[in-house]
Parts: sequence; C-alpha cells; structure tokens
Amino acid sequence: MAKTLMRFTGVGGQGVLLAGEIFAAAKIKTGGHGLKTATYTSQVRGGPTVVDIQLDDQEIYYPYANDGEIGFMLSVAEMSYKLFKDGVREGGTIVVDPNLVHPTDEDRKKWNIHEIPIITIAKEEVGNVITQSVVALAIANTMMNAIDKDALIATMLSKVPAKVHDVNKVAYELGEKYAKEAMA
Amino acid sequence: MATREIISTGNELAAIAAVDAGCKFFGGYPLTPSSEVMHVISDLLPKVGGVAIQMEDEIGGICAVIGAGMVGQRALTATSGPGMSLKAEQLGLAQMAEVPLVVVNVMRGGPSTGLPTRVSQGDILQSKNPSHGDYKSITFCAGSLAECYTEVVRAFNVADRFMQPVIVLLDETIGHMHGKADIPTVEDVQAGIVPRKTFDGPAEEYFPYECEHDEPAVLNPMYQGYRYHFTGLHHDKFGYPTEEIETCRKLIQRLEDKVALHEDEVESYEEFEMEDADVMIVAYGSVSLAAKESIRHLRAEGIKAGLFRPITIWPSPAAKIKEHTDKIKKVLVVELNIGQYHGEVQRAAARLDIEGLFKVNGRPISPYEIVNKVKEL
Repeated sequence: MAKTLMRFTGVGGQGVLLAGEIFAAAKIKTGGHGLKTATYTSQVRGGPTVVDIQLDDQEIYYPYANDGEIGFMLSVAEMSYKLFKDGVREGGTIVVDPNLVHPTDEDRKKWNIHEIPIITIAKEEVGNVITQSVVALAIANTMMNAIDKDALIATMLSKVPAKVHDVNKVAYELGEKYAKEAMA
Repeated sequence: MATREIISTGNELAAIAAVDAGCKFFGGYPLTPSSEVMHVISDLLPKVGGVAIQMEDEIGGICAVIGAGMVGQRALTATSGPGMSLKAEQLGLAQMAEVPLVVVNVMRGGPSTGLPTRVSQGDILQSKNPSHGDYKSITFCAGSLAECYTEVVRAFNVADRFMQPVIVLLDETIGHMHGKADIPTVEDVQAGIVPRKTFDGPAEEYFPYECEHDEPAVLNPMYQGYRYHFTGLHHDKFGYPTEEIETCRKLIQRLEDKVALHEDEVESYEEFEMEDADVMIVAYGSVSLAAKESIRHLRAEGIKAGLFRPITIWPSPAAKIKEHTDKIKKVLVVELNIGQYHGEVQRAAARLDIEGLFKVNGRPISPYEIVNKVKEL
C-alpha cells in the first residue's frame, strides 16, 4: 500500500485526536508505520484543531502531512474546514457534517465532497455524542480502505473503556453504512 | 541490545524513561506543551514508591527537585520556555552546589508566554546559559520518539556522573506526535545505571568539594551521617562560603573543566546520508525529521545532500562539525529560531558563509522548504 494521508479537523473537545491515535496504532500493529500529529490553539475547547494521520509501509520522517498531498479530510467545524481544506489535493475526498460545515460551489468542483451528518448519527442513532469520533473513523477507513476493519476495531476497543465497547461497535457499523451509501 | 515497541507520544516516553532510569521524584508545574510529562509521571511514580508533587509554581518545582537531588534521589522536572526562565536562578544554584537533576524542556514559541501550543526551537541558547555565571551546561535534544526515551535515560546517568543539571530539549512537535518507538528494555536501562559516587570513609574526613581539577563534587545524600554546607556562594572544601582568591578561581575553573575535559563522554550526533554528501544540512529536534524527508527528495533528483544532527547540543560536537565543514562547501543550518545554533556552527566551522533557513511563526518547516533552499545554494 502506498502512503495514506488523512486529515481530521474540528474544534477542541470534539475528540478528533483520538481517531488519529487509533489509526496510527492500528497501522503499527499490522506491521506498518503510522504517525499522528495534532495542531491546536491555546484555546483548548472551541479553537480549531487539526489532526494529520500518515500511514505508510516505509518509515515516516516528517510528522505533518504536506499541504496539497492529503487524500482525505473530514471536518465537523466550519472554521477548521476553511482553515485546512487547501491541504487536500485536487480530486481528493472531503467528508463534512452538513449541519456544521458549508462548502462552496467552487469547493465541490475541486474536491469530491460528501455530506454525512456525523454528529446527528452519533447523538440520535448511536445515542451517545461521544461516539462521533468512531463514526468518523469508520467513514474514513471505509472511504480510504486504509486498514483491515477488524484490526482497526480491535485497536479502537483497546482505547475506550469496556463499558462503552458495544456502543462504539454500533457507531463503527453505522459510520461504515453511511460511508458506503455516500459512495454509492 | 533487546528493544521493545511502544506506541506513544514523546512527552509520555520522556516520563516513562525517567521512571525506568530510577527517578523517584518529580516536582513541577504543568505548562503547555510539556504537561503530559507531569500527567504521566504522576500516575507512574506512586506505583514504584516515588513521589510526584505539583508545586505552587515553576520555581517551587525546581526547588523541590534540588532537595530530592540532595538526599540522593534521581529527580525530574518538566516545563517549557517560560518555566525555564523562572527556573533559571535555581539551575544556577544546582550548577554551583553540584546537585544532579534532569529538566525536560518541551519548547514552544517565545519569548515570554509566546505561542503556547506551537512548535519552536527558541530555547537553544537559553539552555547553554540558563543562569548567570560560568559553568558548562549539558543539553541533549531528542530527534525522534525513541530519543525522547533514550535521551532522558542518558540524562540521568550523565547528571549523576557530572553532578549537575542536565537539560533534555523536546519541542512541541516531538512531544505531542504519536507513533512507534523502538526503545531499550527496562532491564537494559536498569543494567546501565551508574549510581553517583559517594564517600564512605570517616565523617570527619569528608570534604565534598575537595576533588581533582576536572572532577565533580562527591555529595553524599543528606541525613546519612555526613555533614556539609550547601550554598550558592563561592565555597571551600566543606561547602562554607569563602572569598579566598585561589579557592574561588579553582572552583569555577573546575565547574568548567569537569565537563570540558570530558566532552567525549557526552558527545552524541547522527550522520544521515553523509558519506558522499555535497550539501550538509544541520538540524536537530523535529526539524531533523523534515530534513531527512527533504534528503529523500533531493537524492531522488540527484542532489547529494546529507544531515548532521547534533544530539548533544551543549557542549556542541564542534570538532566533528569542523571535520565535515572543512570538506563540504555548501552548509545549511535549518532551525525554528533565528539562527541560535547557526552561530555555533559558524564558530565550529570557523566560516562565515554558513547558510541558514529559519522560521519563528510557530509553524514547522516543511521538507519542501528545505528542498527549495538547498537548490538555491
């Protein structure tokens, strides 16, 4: 597999960091190289947050994704979307929560944009808003075909408390379902 | 040597390293972007019979650590630039009184409170002389996740060998990036611990500061029957203040020479693709990662670039730098400040035509920026 570059963006406190850690750890556990690097502001809750995830078969040196090379971005906050979208290469995939992020017509020509109501899915269908990062994880992995699903879920479960295992499994399956529908 | 794989961040690895190296005390105050060192070690130390205290401020943190060092414990504090500024006076005291301790400084934008969450390498010169007066600072700089572990381990051993503070520089990027580190096993780390020297003769013959011109003081742990005086003033063999001319001269010269005459014991650097290099990039910390990737691109285009990466920043590997700069014409120092190590490379090379690529806006230097700069040389 070639290098996979993904970027998750939101605002501080939404849990986008955890999704990045899960991706990197799962890739390492399956024998490759994975690196997660986050950038945030001193405004810990509410400030724009970006997480770069690099998955590669060869050693990764530079820990940030180079702008213009990112193949996939997911965004759940308008200000972060605007700040970081230009890192995505032309023709790359962007997933946004349509209740929170509003891409322009120009954006839609440049990138392959999908609208999936991630927060609503987590809040209403899974029943726990905290699971939004796992819904996002499932969407990213389904669209990018980045890592073996079972390995990713196993890593995810190792990073969340046992009492929320079931609800996070549901969140993953729902994220995958919505991603497949969006791609269809 | 056997290794183990840990998936973690640089800050967490630094905390784990301290505990594995026998650190039993942490005193500090949480400061972005170093706070995770304190979070993690607060969790780990009580499990091994150690103590972690959140002190009232940065100064309290280093004072507590000096106290732990005086009773013979390996002790750590962690902070960032603003905290280093506050700790400066006490770092001078630890240099003067010869108390070993380790400081992890996860660099962020400065001066003053600067850019709390953003990467910088602006504390390079500060780490050379954090406090006033003459002494020889020892500073390491981690250039990978694994080195966040190995350099902290090394710092504890070197602090006990030279009886003085050792600073380990991380930067925000290295401290927070999350990935794989292949690090030594706990058994290997513990087997490599060399305890600090102690005096076991009769108490009345114990003169802690009476030592060879190039050797550190021998400070027995307090409360074990050996008495000495502890001061930041110039002092005699007992530690009592003195202004006697020769004693004062010898003391400060010894603080310099105990390190300067043994630099080979602390020197450490990496040479990456340097064998046939026509262009030498000098970088350290997270910037060296961008440099390594830039070298991949440059070599793919037929430009023979290599990286020289000091791991021991102070004292600098000056002789090794000169060996390379005597042969290589194009030399570029890349760093997240306005040339703090560039000046040292100029000095070591005895050349004023060393090029620089600097950035001070809290953002990392990308591999492409280095590639473009190298092509301009």
